Amino acid sequence: MMPISKTSIDNTVFATSVYGQQWAGPDGDRLTIALQLLQSETASTIQIDSLVESLEYTPSTRISSIIESTTDWRVDPDGQYRLIASNSSAIVALTEDENIVQWPDLSHGKSIDEEHKSAINEAWKNEVSGVSQGAYISQSQHVLAMPSRLGLHAQEDASGIIWPPRQLNSEGERISPATNKLDSSASILTWTRLSAAGAPSEFSLRAPLLGGISTVLVEFASGPKGVFMLADDEEGQASIDQEVSFEVRRLYGQDNLIHYGLKALLI
Amino acid sequence: MVDVAMVGAGQTKFGNHPLGLKGMWSEAIEKAFSSVDNDCLPSMVDEAFIGSIAFGGSQLGNTAALLTEHSGMDGVSVRRVENACASSGFALRDAWMTIKSGQADIVVAGGIEKMNDLSAERKRYWLGVSGDTEWERLAGLTFPGTYALTARRYFHEFESTHDDLVHVSVKNHMHGLDNEVAHLRKDVSFEKASSGAMVADPLTLYDCCPTSDGASAVILVADHLAHQFTDTPIWVKGSGAGSDKLALHDRPSLTQLRATQLASQKAYSIANVQPNQIDLAEVHDCFTIAEVLATEDLGFAGRGEGGLFARNGQGRRNEGNVTINASGGLKSKGHPLGATGTGQAVEVFKQLRHQVEAPRQVRDAEIGLTHNVGGSGATCAVHIFGRER
Repeated sequence: MMPISKTSIDNTVFATSVYGQQWAGPDGDRLTIALQLLQSETASTIQIDSLVESLEYTPSTRISSIIESTTDWRVDPDGQYRLIASNSSAIVALTEDENIVQWPDLSHGKSIDEEHKSAINEAWKNEVSGVSQGAYISQSQHVLAMPSRLGLHAQEDASGIIWPPRQLNSEGERISPATNKLDSSASILTWTRLSAAGAPSEFSLRAPLLGGISTVLVEFASGPKGVFMLADDEEGQASIDQEVSFEVRRLYGQDNLIHYGLKALLI
Repeated sequence: MVDVAMVGAGQTKFGNHPLGLKGMWSEAIEKAFSSVDNDCLPSMVDEAFIGSIAFGGSQLGNTAALLTEHSGMDGVSVRRVENACASSGFALRDAWMTIKSGQADIVVAGGIEKMNDLSAERKRYWLGVSGDTEWERLAGLTFPGTYALTARRYFHEFESTHDDLVHVSVKNHMHGLDNEVAHLRKDVSFEKASSGAMVADPLTLYDCCPTSDGASAVILVADHLAHQFTDTPIWVKGSGAGSDKLALHDRPSLTQLRATQLASQKAYSIANVQPNQIDLAEVHDCFTIAEVLATEDLGFAGRGEGGLFARNGQGRRNEGNVTINASGGLKSKGHPLGATGTGQAVEVFKQLRHQVEAPRQVRDAEIGLTHNVGGSGATCAVHIFGRER
């Protein structure tokens, strides 16, 4: 797992990816850094105008909903804290101040292959500007399932914990809304690594650059199973029974929108 | 209740076909009707069921009406049946049920798909539309991926390795070598199949079926008409179907297809046939691991013994109790999604009438089975056929 890098100066916490301020990583951006930062701090209320303005691409769902589905923080125009993002680097700050007077130098992260970085960024640009290649999910379904998809919120009925969410049970009764939160880690039951040729069309531009994409099928301790793309697996390979944690990352882009989702990270 | 007989069956060659939808369908219909021993005409058909995904979006709406219009079945009651790769297996079941219920006497069931005139990008999009879009696809999965997850788990749970899958691939290529309608007619050695390019680890190119163009059709009739058309009808002794959760991760077991188990149990029960009575089975080997699971779920091998079954060559033509995929299966014969299910029935029809060219004929074939799966196992149709009623 590759955690964010954090630095505290006075009343402000700064965060970058492990690549430092130069890059948020192959499937990261200021929003994914911000989400990790918020998850690592005690929750309160937050203003997000600066973060919204700093994002390179428009998310497919409201940023406030993504934050509230993924963390315990509540977005509020008059919130106690502000998420402020640098427009020129991959740094996000959590602060009670109105402005950041000086951004720190957080360049000392994981080394970056500039050619690889450039190719990945170009692939995202082309992917986002493309028209739908598939994986079409109605916007209403996308929004309705967000707490489960991003926050691992599960349902519960007589048969046990249910995730992903379902509508009716075998008695024809409506299953109550997803309010339970699944564990923050899970165990790999099986996994695969898809070659670029075997990957869905949504990933056809980035898969060759990443040497393929890995997917794990995991089981949570409470019972439900799910599939997730693996992130940050350049230096490790999945194995059965290995534990993973989860983070929100970019999944894919199309129709000028970026879609975010949970990805698994090897522990 | 009415019994149902198959009196005609025909198909195009599977592969890269020069014809479009209308041309392929009319060729399959032409061959099906010309295979009937005594006069039988398209204008005599009461109902038609045509399986197709309408791959590529070509004539996505009212596909079936267009096809019957171009095959001499003007005015017939027709519809497209869609259950992913099991579309025409379900078209066959619908046709069977229609005659069983007494609502029609002569029914056509068929399927069609045109897959190989699309760009690579568009093809990959359409190959993924039948999986679980909201959860699986967004995790990077298409069917090679889901079956790869199953294969790796199977190896973990049982005494099996990728070599067992290689045996499946080699066998099916050997069976398809002499099949004139097969897509990939080539002898594949164990060494070659062991070293294919990785598609979805642990599945290689030799574990995956090709994408094919093709059409197939069978003619079913009610029992009182069977001997009007032929002296050797093939009886549809049983039909069963089942379904399961769309996404692999929602299923209790990753190494069994419940839809296959449900479908086969119903079909065996209706046909009053046991698995050990089946002489040949055309099973849905979209990926080699799928054949391993099918041999277990259909009752030919015990739980966890499908790999051993393949390793021992038990499905080879005329070598074990049952010949698995005498046609070459999806792996060699090809997989034109919507046409595959009734394509399997075409093979069984010819095998049970002992009309297959000499090297491919299953000896003394009396009872055959077809097994057609939709997606990674969300739907399945199983049919049992016999020379005896």
